[in-house]
Amino acid sequence: MEQDRFKKTRRMILVRALLPAFAVLMLVCTTLVYYFGIYSRDRVKAEMETVVRGHLQIIDRFLEERAADLRLTSASYDAAYLSEDKNLARVLRNLQAGSNAFFDVGVFDKDGNHLAYVGPYDLAGKKYSDAPWWKAVKEKGIYVSDVFLGFRNIPHFIVAVRGGSPEEPWYLRATIDSMAFNDLVESVRIGKTGEAYLVSKGGLFQTKRRSGGNLMDPDPDFEKYESGSNRIETFTAVSASGDKFLFATGELKMADLVLVVRQETDEAYAPVVGAVTVASAIILGGGGLVAVLSYILASYLAGQLSTAERENRQMRTQLIIAGKLAELGEMSAGVAHEINNPLQVMKSEHTLISDLLSDAEEEGGHIDADHLAIIKDSVDQIALQIDRCKNITQGLLRFARKSESSMEAVSIQGFLPTVVDMVEHQAFLSNIKIIQELDPDLPSVMSDPNQLQQVFLNLLNNAIHAIDGRQSGEVRIRAGRENSHLKISVTDNGCGIKPEDMEKIFLPFFTTKPVGQGTGLGLSTAYGIVKGLGGEIDVTSELNAGTVFTVTLPIEAGERAGG
Amino acid sequence: MDTVKVLLIDDEERFLATTKTLLDKRGVKTFTASNGVFALKLLEDNAIDVVVLDVKMPGLDGIEVLRKIKQRFPLVEVLMLTGHASVKSAVEGLRLGAFDYLVKPCDVSDLLDKINEAHEKRAAVEAKIQKAKIEDIISHPLAVFDKKNN
Repeated sequence: MEQDRFKKTRRMILVRALLPAFAVLMLVCTTLVYYFGIYSRDRVKAEMETVVRGHLQIIDRFLEERAADLRLTSASYDAAYLSEDKNLARVLRNLQAGSNAFFDVGVFDKDGNHLAYVGPYDLAGKKYSDAPWWKAVKEKGIYVSDVFLGFRNIPHFIVAVRGGSPEEPWYLRATIDSMAFNDLVESVRIGKTGEAYLVSKGGLFQTKRRSGGNLMDPDPDFEKYESGSNRIETFTAVSASGDKFLFATGELKMADLVLVVRQETDEAYAPVVGAVTVASAIILGGGGLVAVLSYILASYLAGQLSTAERENRQMRTQLIIAGKLAELGEMSAGVAHEINNPLQVMKSEHTLISDLLSDAEEEGGHIDADHLAIIKDSVDQIALQIDRCKNITQGLLRFARKSESSMEAVSIQGFLPTVVDMVEHQAFLSNIKIIQELDPDLPSVMSDPNQLQQVFLNLLNNAIHAIDGRQSGEVRIRAGRENSHLKISVTDNGCGIKPEDMEKIFLPFFTTKPVGQGTGLGLSTAYGIVKGLGGEIDVTSELNAGTVFTVTLPIEAGERAGG
Repeated sequence: MDTVKVLLIDDEERFLATTKTLLDKRGVKTFTASNGVFALKLLEDNAIDVVVLDVKMPGLDGIEVLRKIKQRFPLVEVLMLTGHASVKSAVEGLRLGAFDYLVKPCDVSDLLDKINEAHEKRAAVEAKIQKAKIEDIISHPLAVFDKKNN
């Protein structure tokens, strides 16, 4: 029972006070980590895109410059001049002075016939009208080819431009060593697995791939690349080797080549995963710690609360007991007087009988009728006084009986007069009349008669004390029904209660009596009992006019029990 | 010594009756009163030596009766009877000039002893007063006439 209450309180504290705060904290932390993860991933992608964009620009510029070199040449000279081998050789030297990437140079007429050639191959006089580069340059006026392995196994590509007028075109073609930008691409290193390479639109490697893939080999991952537009794309895909990579791809403007930068996702996202893992660990650890501390705190609070409640309960019980003892103490002085009076009478009668008996002995056992009658009368008187004592002790026992709160149907008409009987004599001694005005058809109440007796005994004693020493004292005890309650009032015409004392009278140990004569427990006990029985106790008072205490008790089951 | 005249004041009629019988039998002239008002009237009409007074009584309270007796009949000795276990009321009584107190229930013999003691005290006081008066007359014989002239 106690344990249940403790658990219930602890759960209440946890659920109502600590859980919402904890949930909000966890939600905030989780959200922060989630967005941090997304942000960090975007940063990794953005870095890759930057690498791709930068390299694309460099390569495009390189190609543009070489194309511009050729265009300048085609604009500066005519086909006839360049068809002379020595003139073409001088042009090649000029070109090579601008960029040593130029490898050879050739001049073609409008039908694709090789007019002149300067370079290591023997190509002069060959016809190229069916070659794809020829068709492309004829159409567009400029052409940049894919990379191929040429002489001495060095990667090369072709740049061709159109010269002359549209009616009489001729063409200038140069082979360019691509080492200049191959090195640039191949040297890209991001972490351990990050690398960059160029792929032709035909899916062939245009630069060597560090993780495997030679020049001109087909790229096994080519189909996975999401290119085609001018934008730089980032995506993740599983490569032919089975590893998952983060890719960034972009197309060159000057050539049909795709620049690919890729890094294994495990490595690319390692810092993000690390940070998120650490953050999650801290949140979970912190959350766990908070949960444990919350549990401990809640247990502690619940423990404190149950202890306080238990102490409060004990205190109330003790207060009732103390009040009872105090009442008993106050009564005992009165009771001593009550019992000593009949004892005194009995003692006198006893002496009288003894006297008469010793008279009879002196006369030899003879006793006269007169004396016999007196003795008889005395014995009757003794019996009468014994009964009187018996009534007193029984009343006392009723009061002092251990009261375990036992609810039973109490008939107020029968009950109140017995309480009044207990104080009647005291009232008589103080010249106080006790008037009972009980409605004849009162229902029984479900209550504890012992506790009720303590309450009304206290109220009646208080009333008698309030009147003590005044003329024509009167205590009126009224009982009547009011809806589902029973109202019992005790009215006196005594000294009344000072207004400043009114709010204190139900406090324990508050008393207006001189030191040693009142414990201040009577009314507080009565208050506790009435509250405990589910009732109310009220007071109205006028100084020097009198006081009314009203006890309201619920009838509840009493009506049914009483029929 | 003359017969001792005692007045019993108590609210227990039966106690008064029986005790009167017992005391009369023992040579004490006993009057009884069940309340203070009647007691004061008896004191006026009879030359009472000793009063036996129950402290706790309805009507005129025992202590109040004691005060009145001591006021109007200062030479009358008062024995208090108290039913209280506490001596509080007895102490108050002694302070007001009571001769002694007895706690109920008490023996008739104890009561008689106290009555005799009280009576002796009263007799001694009266003797002293008598003696003082005589000495007064002897030392100032003419004063007797002064008084008479007054």
